[in-house]
Amino acid sequence: MAGGMSRLFRGETTINFYGRRNIGFIASGLLLLVTVGSLFTQGLNLGIDFKGGVAFEVPVAGTMSEAKAKEILAANKIRTDNAKIQTLTSGSTERVRIQLGDLLVETRTTIQEALAKAANATVNDVSVSTVSSTWGRNITTKAINALLVFFLIVSIFIAWQFEWRMALSAIAAMVHDVGISIGVYSFFKLEVTPATVVAFLTILGFSLYDTIVVFDKVHENTERFSGSKVSYADIVNVSMNQVLMRSLNTSISSLLPVLSLLVIGSGVLGAVALREFALALLVGLATGAYSSIYIATPLVGILKERSDQYRSMRGHLSLGVDMTHLMQTGAPVGRRAAARAASDASQGVVPAPVAVETLLSHPPRPRKKSRR
Amino acid sequence: MTRRLVASLVSIVLLSSGAFIANIVAGNFPALGLDLQGGASVTMTPVGEVDEAALSVAVDIIRQRVDSIGVAEPEIIRQGNTVVVNLPGVKDQQQALDTIGRTGAVEMRPVIKVAENPENTTTTTVVGGTTTTVKGGTTTTLKPTSTTLPPPSGGVGSSRTAAVTTTTIPTATEDVDPLTGLPQGQTILPGRKDGLIYLLGPIEATGEVFSNDSSAQVDAGAWVVVAKLRSGAAGADVWNALSTKCFAGVADCPTKAIAIILDGEVISAPTVQTPTFDNGSVQISGSFSETEAQDLARVLQFGAVPVKFDIPTVQTVSASLGEDSLRAAVLSGLVGLLLVLLFLLFYYRLIAIVVIGGLALSGLMLWSVISWLSKTNGLALTLSGAAGIIVSVGVTVDSYVVFFEKLKDDVQLGRTLRNSAARGFDRAWRTILIADTVSLIGALILWQLTVGSVRGFAFFLGLSTLSDMVVSYFFARPAVLLLAKTKMFNRGRVLGVAKAKISEAVA
Repeated sequence: MAGGMSRLFRGETTINFYGRRNIGFIASGLLLLVTVGSLFTQGLNLGIDFKGGVAFEVPVAGTMSEAKAKEILAANKIRTDNAKIQTLTSGSTERVRIQLGDLLVETRTTIQEALAKAANATVNDVSVSTVSSTWGRNITTKAINALLVFFLIVSIFIAWQFEWRMALSAIAAMVHDVGISIGVYSFFKLEVTPATVVAFLTILGFSLYDTIVVFDKVHENTERFSGSKVSYADIVNVSMNQVLMRSLNTSISSLLPVLSLLVIGSGVLGAVALREFALALLVGLATGAYSSIYIATPLVGILKERSDQYRSMRGHLSLGVDMTHLMQTGAPVGRRAAARAASDASQGVVPAPVAVETLLSHPPRPRKKSRR
Repeated sequence: MTRRLVASLVSIVLLSSGAFIANIVAGNFPALGLDLQGGASVTMTPVGEVDEAALSVAVDIIRQRVDSIGVAEPEIIRQGNTVVVNLPGVKDQQQALDTIGRTGAVEMRPVIKVAENPENTTTTTVVGGTTTTVKGGTTTTLKPTSTTLPPPSGGVGSSRTAAVTTTTIPTATEDVDPLTGLPQGQTILPGRKDGLIYLLGPIEATGEVFSNDSSAQVDAGAWVVVAKLRSGAAGADVWNALSTKCFAGVADCPTKAIAIILDGEVISAPTVQTPTFDNGSVQISGSFSETEAQDLARVLQFGAVPVKFDIPTVQTVSASLGEDSLRAAVLSGLVGLLLVLLFLLFYYRLIAIVVIGGLALSGLMLWSVISWLSKTNGLALTLSGAAGIIVSVGVTVDSYVVFFEKLKDDVQLGRTLRNSAARGFDRAWRTILIADTVSLIGALILWQLTVGSVRGFAFFLGLSTLSDMVVSYFFARPAVLLLAKTKMFNRGRVLGVAKAKISEAVA
């Protein structure tokens, strides 16, 4: 028997994606519900770049160094992953600047004293000041405005190249992906940094890209089947089975570097800063690939099945052998043929092989006559 | 046909490796961002008492300046009352100071003449001039009179040093400035957005004539800016003297317009509609959009309580993440890349060498462009930028996957690779083009409309998408088409699939 893997490899799968669309919708709905719930109860853990915090500046003297600063923070049970520790140099004087999220006044004093002690200096030599966010309100406003414009123009572009139903579904899929990624951040209380925002945008871009590739296939098949009476559900199923291998390969190719960033970069080599970024990307890329097949395309199917052109065939699904036939010949299996296929199958008769030539979409070029 | 394919292949390889070598020879290397390499940190402490609102406007204005200089991702922090600006990759401390240390005072000068800016090729049409009136008074919109004027001297963005000769300027009796050739006190400044240049008289008032509650409002269905005058000698008197003069259209102010200037740019040049503003309120109207009105109001608020900074101090600042993070990112990126290549070799067999070549070319191109822009535009690669590039590997590989899957389908249906390569590429190219266009649109919009690290992201997204398109068309297409002609690729199980076995497939 040609196993499932082998059929997958050859693009011969006949998975009824459209018929099982509710599985995807329910799973995503539940995840989005968790996201909303988590956002309301826990909110997002915004980092110092968004919320501002406290900055210490210590002259470099005695045992003071960036590493020592980390030790002091760790001793006070403060996470150092997202603390910004930098050395400032002007001329021959060096100072260490430590930026942290908001602290209790007592902790602030404790750290100030510890830093002063390490630098053999008085407490007054360690400056403490509140810092504003580097990510000002107007950066957020601008980014949100830009995203709205982006959604609008991309919708127009997709509506122009394909159709408005696809534009709507692509946007829905993007919102879904970013929603779930944000949910992961909120649920696991990961700290949101500017890098996270960039990761979310990357996810958005990837999700859209992936969706467009799948839509292009659906669009191609819509044109291919436009002559024969094929239900939109069938078109969707055929297209998704045809792009399944592409989607899997692309997802693997995109996830491998990110996985490597996560496992080797932050795990083995210990670059902690990479961990949450890679994690956001990993979740986002995975949902991006998933949503193209389980959210975006079924949505188009649902919308399109109600259109005038396809309403009469609504609810008709060609499964199994019929789908293969549809995929390869571009024509639906008639009622008689379907009945024959069913009886053949029950009697264990293998269908007659179809001649290769009939399957090619254009006839071979006629042989050239003699040379002039 | 073959010759053209070979030519395309050879030229893209030569071009990208040439650019790479040229950058190496010229000593251009990608500059690293604040998080990876550090940079210059400029600390600005305001003098005296500071108004909270004014300081935040000042920070906004500084951000605008810093963002206008290039594609780097600067950091602007308020630390208590001081403003800290961190510029990535800036080695020269003087350069950092020049970038930030401008006056930031709002000035008002009478407008002597207005003209199209000859340096501005994309001249925008002026949608009506702006006018000032007593609030509640009638406004009439005047178009600025257009006459030719020499280009602005030392205006923003121009490195003009030559003396400007003018003949159309009314000859004043005062001393002539030897540098500009203009009468003493006069200057020529460009408009910020209107594509005009203005010949202006001496500074006759500062932004401090207004109190700091200027606001954008809607009046009779249009956006206007309403500013309140400070009463007394420092406020209303100065303004009214200027407005009376301009209303009369004396030789000093023949256009009857007053220019409002910030950082050497004319923000707005309203025409005066009343000689004096007795009720202490000035209304500036014109065809403002909401943003334009808000911007002007903000400039006036800032001018009202200008924040004066001490001479800024510059320090170099070390990386917040450091070298080991970068090394880890690069190393794991390479490992990831290797895994992807192994996977593709396993899946698509020999033809995956095209992917290896394509990725190598993309790499060379990205390196060249990033190095070159680091040198010229102050681009700096941050950790998220680097990771963005790693993610773009997936999208780049996808172009090949789409192409190869098409080929595989055809081969399975019984075509030879030779037969299907060109057709397969045409189909795949359509898909690649649409998907990449969408990414490019996204990158352009985000680039245009955002600031900071979002802008940095948009830049790298656009760059990697463009290189994907170039490499797909000029490298992958000829490479696969040429390989498809060879005997080796038309034998046996090409692409890991055997030829047509339809019956088996149906079974």
